Order: sequence, then structure tokens, then C-alpha cells
Amino acid sequence: MAAATRTAPRAREIFTTLEYGPAPESHACALAWLDTQDRHLGHYVNGKWLKPEHRNSVPCQDPITGENLASCLQAQAEDVAAAVEAARTALENWSTLPGARRAQHLTRLAKMIQKHQRLLWTLESLVTGRAVREVRDRDVPLAQQLLQYHAVQAHTQEEALAGWEPMGVIGLIVPPTFSFLEMMWRICPALAVGCTVVVLVPPASPAPLLLAQLAGELGSFPGILNVISGPTSLGPVLASQPGVQKVAFCGAVEGGLRLLIQESVWDETMTRLQARMGRLRVGRGLDGAVDMGARGAAARDLAQRYVREAQSQGAQVFQAGDVPSDSPFYPPTLISDLPPASPCAQTEVPWPLVVASPFRTAKEALAVANGTPRGGSASVWSERLGQALELGYGLRMGIVWINAHGLRDPAVPTGGCKESGSSWHGGPDGLYEYLQPSGTPARQPSLSENLNYDTFGLAVPSTLPAGPETGPSPAPPYGLFVGGRFQAPGARSSRPIQDSHGNLHGYVAEGGAKDIRGAVEAAHQAAPGWVGQSPGARAALLGALAAALERRESALAARLERHGVELKVAKAEVELSVRRLRAWGARAQAQGHTLQVAELRGPVLRLREPLGVLAIVCPDEWPLLAFVSLLAPALAHGNTVVLVPSGTCPIPALEVCQDVATLLPAGLVNVVTGDRDHLTRCMALHQDVQALWYFGSVQGSQFVEWASAGNLKPVWVNRGLPRAWDQDAEGAGPELGLRAAQTKALWLPMGD
Amino acid sequence: MGVPIFITAVTNCCWIGADNCVILGILGTDLSWISKVQVNHPAVLRRAQQVQARRTVKKEWQAAWLLKAVTFIDLTTLSGDDTSSNVQRLCYKAKYPIREDLLKALNMHDKDITTAAVCVYPARVCDAVRALKAAGCNIPVASVATGFPAGQTHLKTRLEEIRLAVEDGASEIDVVINRSLVLTGQWEALYDEIRQFRKACGEAHLKTILATGELGSLTNVYKASMIAMMAGSDFIKTSTGKETVNATFPVAIVMLRAIRDFFWKTGNKIGFKPAGGIRSAKDALAWLSLIKEELGDEWLKPELFRIGASTLLSDIERQIYHHVTGRYAAYHDLPMS
Repeated sequence: MAAATRTAPRAREIFTTLEYGPAPESHACALAWLDTQDRHLGHYVNGKWLKPEHRNSVPCQDPITGENLASCLQAQAEDVAAAVEAARTALENWSTLPGARRAQHLTRLAKMIQKHQRLLWTLESLVTGRAVREVRDRDVPLAQQLLQYHAVQAHTQEEALAGWEPMGVIGLIVPPTFSFLEMMWRICPALAVGCTVVVLVPPASPAPLLLAQLAGELGSFPGILNVISGPTSLGPVLASQPGVQKVAFCGAVEGGLRLLIQESVWDETMTRLQARMGRLRVGRGLDGAVDMGARGAAARDLAQRYVREAQSQGAQVFQAGDVPSDSPFYPPTLISDLPPASPCAQTEVPWPLVVASPFRTAKEALAVANGTPRGGSASVWSERLGQALELGYGLRMGIVWINAHGLRDPAVPTGGCKESGSSWHGGPDGLYEYLQPSGTPARQPSLSENLNYDTFGLAVPSTLPAGPETGPSPAPPYGLFVGGRFQAPGARSSRPIQDSHGNLHGYVAEGGAKDIRGAVEAAHQAAPGWVGQSPGARAALLGALAAALERRESALAARLERHGVELKVAKAEVELSVRRLRAWGARAQAQGHTLQVAELRGPVLRLREPLGVLAIVCPDEWPLLAFVSLLAPALAHGNTVVLVPSGTCPIPALEVCQDVATLLPAGLVNVVTGDRDHLTRCMALHQDVQALWYFGSVQGSQFVEWASAGNLKPVWVNRGLPRAWDQDAEGAGPELGLRAAQTKALWLPMGD
Repeated sequence: MGVPIFITAVTNCCWIGADNCVILGILGTDLSWISKVQVNHPAVLRRAQQVQARRTVKKEWQAAWLLKAVTFIDLTTLSGDDTSSNVQRLCYKAKYPIREDLLKALNMHDKDITTAAVCVYPARVCDAVRALKAAGCNIPVASVATGFPAGQTHLKTRLEEIRLAVEDGASEIDVVINRSLVLTGQWEALYDEIRQFRKACGEAHLKTILATGELGSLTNVYKASMIAMMAGSDFIKTSTGKETVNATFPVAIVMLRAIRDFFWKTGNKIGFKPAGGIRSAKDALAWLSLIKEELGDEWLKPELFRIGASTLLSDIERQIYHHVTGRYAAYHDLPMS
């Protein structure tokens, strides 16, 4: 590896050495643009520069020379409010436009970027220190493609996305290590479907401001994209602004890699890797012949610290070339022989480090790769397509590339699972991130300050005998339905269930933390078998369950009647439940599809995979229908479930469990009765529950969102609002299907 | 996004790999492993794309690199209408590839910059040898042979062709391989044929043209490269310039990886010669950086790297003219070849 900058030798000398010389890319236009702002950048709001007085400013520096390029204002709460206000005003017009008009506008923005691309790439490379060819050859063209792809989506929106409406104002919080391209992945779908956006960028990031200016200078619709720069601590301010319907937040990304290499090819691969690394050129980003730029002192120190720690834990370190320790650059580094149990092996690898470790069999590789809380992207390199595909399907990642790495396309959803987050950008999935079913009530931004997260649902009320039972006692055997049979609860106590007249109907088991643990375990055990079933087989079992429900109709209707439902309505509820089971069985057959990608030889598969163990807290109302409406899509998409049935009327659900016990594999469906708040708490705090749906109180919803941040499980809460379970839009709409599975993009380049 | 994970879950290495168990001798009696080799086509395409976009040289570096490129050129004429007069002109151009005053301006006039060789049809070898002798230089003459460009003649005449060219004074022989042997997977027969070419060459260097545009797949390119090297070629060459697809980067990467694998296994450095379609100075620079990236600086010398071209030289001279004078040359400013 050679440092790219050095003094000029004459042609004679170069003729002998044949070395590379500097290939500087002029950044005069970037500086000229900064000059138009007097080297003093504000925010870009409502189509105008916003430079309020009495604000702190931070310097924007060249990460390599340390030279001051400009000073950047730091936003305060009122600036955030101004930006949100602008976005709200713009929303009225923008969201009601015909999709074709929005498409036109996005296309114009793409052309605007094309006209000013040189400014964009030099500015980005100058400020971030990234290699200019990466920005010029990849980011800038992709930014235009993103706009064009989403323009097409906007064009067909009325037809293709009927029944959905834009959410409203979207807040986007961008971490320091992001490129403007990552911002584009998020704002393009939002703008396309009719949302308006406020982006909070870290201080000293001019490229997003430039993009906002380019958008603003198109003239019409100035307030749809507003960019303010300020510290991440403004995030909560942005989130609590009235009118902000969604906040997308991304944490900082580390760019390091983990490399798993099969033992039989370990030596050869390491030799080849080191040979290639030795030819990488590190240098100033604005040099056309540089592979790696710099990312500033903080990134370099982080890498240095990691390497030192790894060395002290016994790792071997290979660094290509020698970079002086006082330079802003850090050499590409290959770390091997890191003991798997050492702390370094557990933490995220910083840029520009690669940690290599060996594996023996593909099965082992899969276990290692899936054994981390992260689930962003992975690539598999193998000559054997069969093996590569098996790994591709088995990896719990959002994106898997087979024999390729880092490919991106606007038509292919990009996202992750597990702690890498559950939001998607690009493709059809990216659009739904900013859509809601038509008629969804607006989100109330205010969080209850009174909710005590430490005590919510902690205590379980003790139950005592509650008087004589009236009428026939419940048909299902007493207990919790876990692992395919009715079991006594760990607490060995019961809760009384009253009918609509206040008479004691019967007792159900009082479930607790241990029962939830057991239910989740049972669900995990059942998962591999259920995932392995073909959609057709799943549909057949759901059909069998539907038939069983049909046979039970009169008993179920009588049960519902006792809880105050008119017999005719009760019968309709049972009938509708039967239909739901059958409908979801049929829908499960048509999932996932192949995407066409420009410039890629080969297909990209968009797979819809089960989430894993899905926990569901059913609403109190519609005790049978809501239970079935939630259960059916979850099962159809291959999940295993732990459900808490209606609190006031849990018996119909338990009755269904009697059929489940005979028809479905054990552990697939687990139903735990008891105190809803307590059970909700147990499930939300369970790290091995992959997703949680909650239909209950406002407080419960708030708690679920707070507690689920522990493993970033996707949650769906109703915020205390009722849902029309008997209407197809809300009770069986596409929203349920979307939430019941996760996407994986599997790239399959081809060729011999 | 989390941490991307690569997995190399194969018995063979990442993307191009030979089974590592086989000992590769020059006599390599067991060729069965050849049939197991796989080339990762998509990965090769991606690498080819990257390597062109990632390197560039400017100013003095560009001038020096271009002069270096001149010394790699096999200045070629392979036309039906070749006669002694245009061969003579070609040889003179080989000796004086760049205008003297331009070289002086760069302080390179005493570096004895000539092309690496001239390359002609067998019947023109005598003309070329005579012309070069008259010009007082020892630039080698390369002759194509073995039924160039299709190779569809009897083995006996193909071998005889080599012998005659060597007799006439050619010190390098560019032979074409029998494509039908590759396409039908007769690797041992291919090996035997090239061995016979080798023997017929005697002291002359053997450059083996794989005609990659007609081999069907990159995997075949790798296999044919390996066979050609094992059979004793001094160079492997991409194409004749007469196929519809000639020297492309993906093909070159596969051949260069084969050369590297062969070097790692046997310690022998084999040369590489792309030919066909390399016309501009910019192309030449890209090829130089490709060799530098894939094989390293030790391959950047005429003994191990050649570029087969006819019109490339005039474009290089035009670029040098521009570098020295700051003006673009008119056609009459530079002597024709």
C-alpha cells in the first residue's frame, strides 16, 4: 500500500518505478458553494436558508487537513418547531396531489441532481473524507435512480396502493457516519407516497443541506424537505412536535467486517486476502485513484483501540503497508486468531477492520453467523450454488448476497432484522414504512409522564373464591394451553370470569412470568417444524381448524351470548372467524416474489420469512373474532405464537385450543390467561420474543414500545384505540399480512 | 445495517481456485483436476468493473506510463494486403515509436524506447527481419503460426509453419490453440498439441493464443490458460484480434489469476499478452494498472507483458504530443506507421 500523496518525481523516474501519482479531483466548486453561504451554513427550511441569531455554531472541517471549511449553526428547539411547521403546511398540498404530479416533481429533482452532481460528490468527499470514486460512481447515480424509481411508484400509487394513505410529517434522525445516500433511501419513499420530511442531520453535514437546497430551488412545494443540523439530543424534541407521525432513527454504523472462512481453504484465502489488501491505496478522499479515504480522528482512534485490545487478547494482526500513527489514515487491517470468547469477538468491528475466523462445516458457519444480535446483511461466497442457497435461506439477515457484496438497487428492499432494526428502505417494503391504512387516526405525540415503567404490570392481584358459579361451567379443561396441552399455572392460582350479568361464569388459570417463559420455549421448539411446512400444508391445517370451529359453532355462539352478544351476532362472529382462517390459509400460498434489477445478471428474490415467536395480546372486545383474526395471519406466515386472549372473555379462545390440541403441532399455538398487564410486561421484556402485537390500553401500548427497545423487536400497538375486527379492512387487511412476516432480499447474480 | 459477514463455504477458494492437492509440474501427467475448476463469473465481472474505475494516472505520471506502454507493444500488422513496403514502414516505426523532439522534451531520448517486437504473418517474417537489420536494431520479430487465426488446419502443417517461421528468423511464435479441443473438453490432447508447438519452436519464445472469445465460458478460459502454461508457453495471449470478442477485462482477470496461481505453485512467471481492440492511450493505461494490481510491478516488463496492437501507438504518440506541447496534434504532425 502506498500513500497517494507525495512530491512529483520527473517522468524519467516514474518510467522506472511505474508508481501511481496523485490524481486530485478539484473541489473548487464545493468551496465556491460554501462561499455562497459566506462559509456559514444554517438550516434549509421551507425552501429558504434559515440562519437564526444567537445560536452556537460548530466548525465543519476537512477530516484530513483539519482545515476549517465553514461554520455550521446548531439548531434549537424553536428551529425544529419551525421546520415541522413548514412540513405540516406543505403536507396539506403535497399529500393530496395526484401521484403523477408528485412523480413529476421527483423526476425534476433527479435531473437537478444530475446537473449539479460534481458539486455534490466533491462536497461529500471533501467533508467526509470518503474516496471520491465511491461517491461519484456509486452514491450519486444511485441517488438519482432512487428518485426515479420512487417517481414511478408515486405514479402508480392510486392504483397499486389503494386503501393506504400517507402518514404525514416524517422526522428523520441521521447519525454522524451517514452519507447523504442513506438519507435518500429514507426520504424518497416518504416523499413519493405523499409525506413531507424534516431531517435532523448531525452538525457539519453540508451535503444534505445542499440536497434540500436543490429540492427547494425547484420552486414548487418548498416545504416538503427540510433539513436542520443539530445534536442528536434534539431527537426527542423532533419526536414530540405535534404533527410528526413517525420518527425514523438510525444509530451509528460501524463499517467493519466479519469474515468466516472454511478451514479447508483458510490458508489460501488468507494469502489472497493479504495480497489484495497490500494493493489497496489509502489517501485523501478527493484523489481519483484511492481505494480508502479517512473518516476522521475519532474513527481512527476507535480502530486503533480495537486492534490493541484484540492483540492483548491474543489475536494476530496483519496491516497492509505502514501508515504513520499521526496521519489521519488507518491502514486496512486483518485480524485473525481472535478467541471466540474474548470481548473483542463479541463487539461490533470498527472500520476499516476485518476479523477473520475459521469454521468447519456450513452448519457451524450458520450457527456462528446467526449467533449475534445483529441481522443486517451478509454475503456468501461459494462455488456450490446449492450450499450457498441453503446458507442464504438460513441466515437471519435482511439482505444476503450470493457471490457478491454490497449491491444496492432502489427496487430491492434494504433493511435488517433483530437489532439491526426492522425498517425497510427501497422496494415495495420501503413504501409501506410511510403509509398507513386509510382512516387510521393520527398519532398523539404526547407520552404519559405518569407511567412508571418499573412497576407497570409488576404485581399480580391475588384472587379469592368469588361466589357460586352459575350456569354450566366452562367446557375447556382448566389450565393454560402451552406446548399442545392444558397445564396448571406456575402460580397455582385462578382468576374468576364473570358474564355480562356479573354472575360468576368460571375460573381460568392465572398465568405468570414462568408460564410465559415456558410458552415461549414451547413456541421456539415448534418453530423449525412449522417453518419447514410448505404454505400449502399450513393452509390445509388452518382449513382443518376452520372446519373444527364450524362444528363447534353453536357452543361458541352460546358462550359469546353469555357475554352479552346477541345470538345472531354471535353466530356471525363464529362464521366470520371460520372465514378468516380459510382466507389466510389461501393468502399464505402467494408470498414473496422475484425482483428485476437493472445491471444485475440474475434475479433478486424478495422472501417473506416468519418473524419467529410472535407474542400477541388480544383485545377485550370481539373475544373470538379478534383472537382468530390475529392468530390466522401469524400462523399462515409461519410464525409460532404465544397469545393472551381477551381479559373479560377468555373462554372462547380456550375452547378453540381444544381443537388446536388435536389438529396442530404441539407448541405452535400457546394461550396464556391471567392479568393482561402482567403478562404483557413479561412478554415485552422477554428478549427471545421476536415480535409483539398489543391491543389494549394506552398505558400498555406505551409500555410495550418502551420495553421492546431491549431487543428492538418490531411491535404493533393500538394505543388504546378500538379496531373494527368485523370489517375486512381492519380485521383482515393487508396490514396484518405485512406485519406477520419479515422481508429478506436474496441476491443471486448468475453466469458461468 | 449490521456487520456484513462473508462466508467462504467451499472446498475451493473464493472465486478462482484450483484444487490445491495437485502438484503442478511442467509435465503434469494428471489433468483430471482441471475439469473440477470453477470460475465465479459474477465476481469476475464486478472486479473487472472496479479495477477500471479505481485507478487513474495524470500529468507526468501519465506521460511516463504511456512511454512505458510503448515498450510493451507488439507492433502488429496482420492483413491480407501486407507487403514488404508496409512491413518495412512498420519496423521503422517500431524502432522510432515517438518523435525524437517529444522524447527530448521529456528527457527520455536516451532511454532507447522502442516497441517490444513487431508481429507479422509467417510469409512476412523475412521482410521484417531484413528491415529491422537495416534499421540497425535487435527488436525481435514475432510471427503468428499454426493456421492463424482459426487453427483449423492439419497438425502437421501447423507444426511445419512454426518451423519455417523460426527458420526465417522469427524469435517469437504466436500460436493459436485448437478451440475444438477446449470445447469438447479434451484437455490432455490440448496439452499434447501445445507440447509439440513448444518443441517446434526450439529456442524461439512460445506465445499461446487462447482465442478466449470462442471458448464459451470463463471457466474454460482458466482451464485453457493452465494447460497452456503447463505445456511450456512463455506467454498466454487473449485473442487473435480476428474474433468478434477480443481482449476484455473479465477474460484478462481470469488469465491473470491463472498466471498467479501457476506462479504460486511452481515459482515460474509466465507472461501475458492482451491483443485485439486495444486502440486508445486510455485503454493502455487501464491495462497497465490491471497488471500492476493483479500481478504486481514485477510483471511490468517486456519479458512478461506485451500488448498486441496496431493503431494504439499513434494514439499514445498523440497524447505525448499533447502532454509536451499542450496542444492536440493534427494528423500530419505525427509520422504514420
